[in-house]
Amino acid sequence: MTTLRRRDALRIIAACMADWWLPRRVSAQRTSESGKPERRVIVVTFGGGVRYEDTLAPEGWVNIPHLASELVPQGLVYPVARHEGLTGHFNSTGALVTGSRQNVDAYGSEAPVTPTIFELFRKERGLRPEEAWVIATNKSFGLMGGSKLRSYGDPYSANVVLPKQLLISTIKAAVSTEAGPGVEDRQALAERMMLALDEGYEGFGWRVFDSGRALGAELKASLGKSLLDYFNDPAAPTSGDELTFFMTKEIMNRLAPSLLLVNFWDIDIAHYGAYSLYLDAIRRTDRLVHELWQHAQSLPEYRDRTTLLVVPEMGRDSDVAGNGFANHRSGDESCRRVWLVALGAGVPKGAGTERPIRTMDVAPTVARILGFKMADCEGRPLTELAF
Amino acid sequence: MQFNASLTGDAAVLAREHGEMLARLPATVHAFILVELQKWPTLFGAEQRYQRALLAHLSGLARRELDQAASGIGRIEADAAINRLGERNPARFQDESQALLRKRGLNVTWREAIDRFFQNIDPVLEAHLYPDDAPRRLIVQLYASGIAVRRAKLWGRFARRGVRVPLNLEGVSGTDAFLRALFGPRASDGRAPAIFAPTGTAPLDAWLIEAHEALHALCDGTDTETVPATLTGVSYDRLRAYRDDLTRTLNRKIQSGVESPQAFAAYARSLQIVPSAGTLPNAADVVLAFVRDVLLTGNGTLFMNNTFVEWTAIQALRRAQPRMLVTRYGVRDRLKPFSSMVLFSQPRASDRVPIAQDPDGSFIDVEQLSYYVWLNAEKNPAYRNKTLYLFLAEDVDEMLAIRSDLPVTKPPAAARLSDVYATMAHWLGAPLQDGLGRPIDALVGP
Repeated sequence: MTTLRRRDALRIIAACMADWWLPRRVSAQRTSESGKPERRVIVVTFGGGVRYEDTLAPEGWVNIPHLASELVPQGLVYPVARHEGLTGHFNSTGALVTGSRQNVDAYGSEAPVTPTIFELFRKERGLRPEEAWVIATNKSFGLMGGSKLRSYGDPYSANVVLPKQLLISTIKAAVSTEAGPGVEDRQALAERMMLALDEGYEGFGWRVFDSGRALGAELKASLGKSLLDYFNDPAAPTSGDELTFFMTKEIMNRLAPSLLLVNFWDIDIAHYGAYSLYLDAIRRTDRLVHELWQHAQSLPEYRDRTTLLVVPEMGRDSDVAGNGFANHRSGDESCRRVWLVALGAGVPKGAGTERPIRTMDVAPTVARILGFKMADCEGRPLTELAF
Repeated sequence: MQFNASLTGDAAVLAREHGEMLARLPATVHAFILVELQKWPTLFGAEQRYQRALLAHLSGLARRELDQAASGIGRIEADAAINRLGERNPARFQDESQALLRKRGLNVTWREAIDRFFQNIDPVLEAHLYPDDAPRRLIVQLYASGIAVRRAKLWGRFARRGVRVPLNLEGVSGTDAFLRALFGPRASDGRAPAIFAPTGTAPLDAWLIEAHEALHALCDGTDTETVPATLTGVSYDRLRAYRDDLTRTLNRKIQSGVESPQAFAAYARSLQIVPSAGTLPNAADVVLAFVRDVLLTGNGTLFMNNTFVEWTAIQALRRAQPRMLVTRYGVRDRLKPFSSMVLFSQPRASDRVPIAQDPDGSFIDVEQLSYYVWLNAEKNPAYRNKTLYLFLAEDVDEMLAIRSDLPVTKPPAAARLSDVYATMAHWLGAPLQDGLGRPIDALVGP
């Protein structure tokens, strides 16, 4: 069997997965798009928790060459942003998408308790599920797409895709137990993978509201082969964020949704205490953000009408007052101090403002850009952007 | 709040003696103290002394003073309706009260109030527990020879601290020779190098913590089951079988379903797995519990050797407070593809991908980690202003030395490893063997 290079495998996985469950753009266009706004918004969490000193501070520029030298000059930078509230991933990202502090379970077993931008957007504008997406590397983000409030909730939530979790769950089921076929008997492994994929995919990292598509035999075989190749290729460091990136591109290509939250999360490898891996993840995220912006510029559906907001959902502990880069629970200023870079439609070029902002300001800003109401939240729109 | 802590022995006596005061404390503080007392048999001496001092201090405060000091916490507890919790087990009460504080959005204010409470208490306790004339301490941090040391960046985090001492290695090469020259000869009874265990010290006074096992090899050759321990040592490599056991057990638990992170943590704490005989030079119960906790509660300590060294060192400094601590970092393995997927699982041999080392990444890691060990030591009153820090990289002809009590102003002349040994012995007040180097004046002077 020919071993694909890892990046090739990633592309195939993304393509196969997308073919499997994403409706084609051509069919999506058949239904009404009257409520769809002209503008698009992509919110990217430079995610997993990253310190100002390791990124936007002058000593951190070496880790974010694309942002520092290419993206920031094209856009508007807020170097002083603050996350208020609990410094866990779900609650801090929840604050981004609701505009209000969230105090729910840190591990994602509870949905946000106030309406998300996805619900408000879809409900007010009468939009289909394909218009709002959460693509997340963090496995606990299954409920990030919407609250459970009676007036909102699932009928208006975003589709949530956790590509890495899908892959992990599938491969784990196949190789990590004595009962599994392992990787030596590749045919048996492929069959196990297909079985896992056929068994209720909701449990494997999907919460797609337009569901029910069957997985064709040919696609299943391709997907299985890609997964095997992916798993067996030790040549390059692995990244859930790269898979998230490819899935994001597929969604943009096929559906051109108006609102996307892309959650990069590799940076959280910092918890392992290896500073070099943390820095590697920052550089990878920087590259992926750049590639994502380039991709948006290459698509007519996004070019010149898209606003990109890049923001870490939170920082990490300082060396002196906190517990260092490995953690983000001390609550010190370093794990609250972040930054925001805005780019694209409606954003002044090469600008910056020292005005302190809060990460909760992202949600009402998105609401203003996409033209829906967001009355009851703690955040305030970023007035430097043109709406 | 009335708790049922099921305390025994000294802990029960302490709780009884201070029962009236404990009952007046805010419930979250009360529960915290009881949970610490529940761990009494697995607390180190320094921790037990702290708990005794804390209880004595709080009991010594006038009633009004104590109420005032705790009033901020009490208000937050009232806002969160913590007093309505019916749980009487202090550990479970802690979990439930934290969940309540979170739901009410009061975690941050509660933590700030707790910090304020202890900020007022700790200086008093520190003055009592760590007097100015307490013995000097020594922390040595070593980089193993496989790490890709970049001389221009070496100990870069300490750019403006300490002094660089040129080393004359006199042809000493290789790990074993380097370590033997650095730590001097074995004690007359043939066990560990004498500097690790001067006469009159306890095994918990000297700790060796390392990624590999070269330091432990210096002490090999004695039967740890029959010969009393003279020092405490923890080697990531030598704990491999134990780590595998823990990993397998945790994986089984995950596969069978975990109710909550709290439940998983409680399960992990309840595990009775211990390293096999001979793995630890000092296998006292308190050390066994310590090692288990380090592996189960430290970020990445199960999977990353240098993270294990750093976290173990920081916990040892905080909890056991040894007089001498030596860390030795090594080369860590590269992360395997999708490691997060198989970390807790045990893929069969044929499914495993080959191990590759990352000497360059290891250097970046250990620069940060050794800095954190120093930072944490300096935050600790047991070490602040009493400690000599030495940083060495095997086969590198330079050393960084930091005295925490005063700056070294005189640039030292080139020193031999035997002089470094003599400096350490002199600093600790250990006997020097004739002809084995001279203390470096610039470091040990008044």
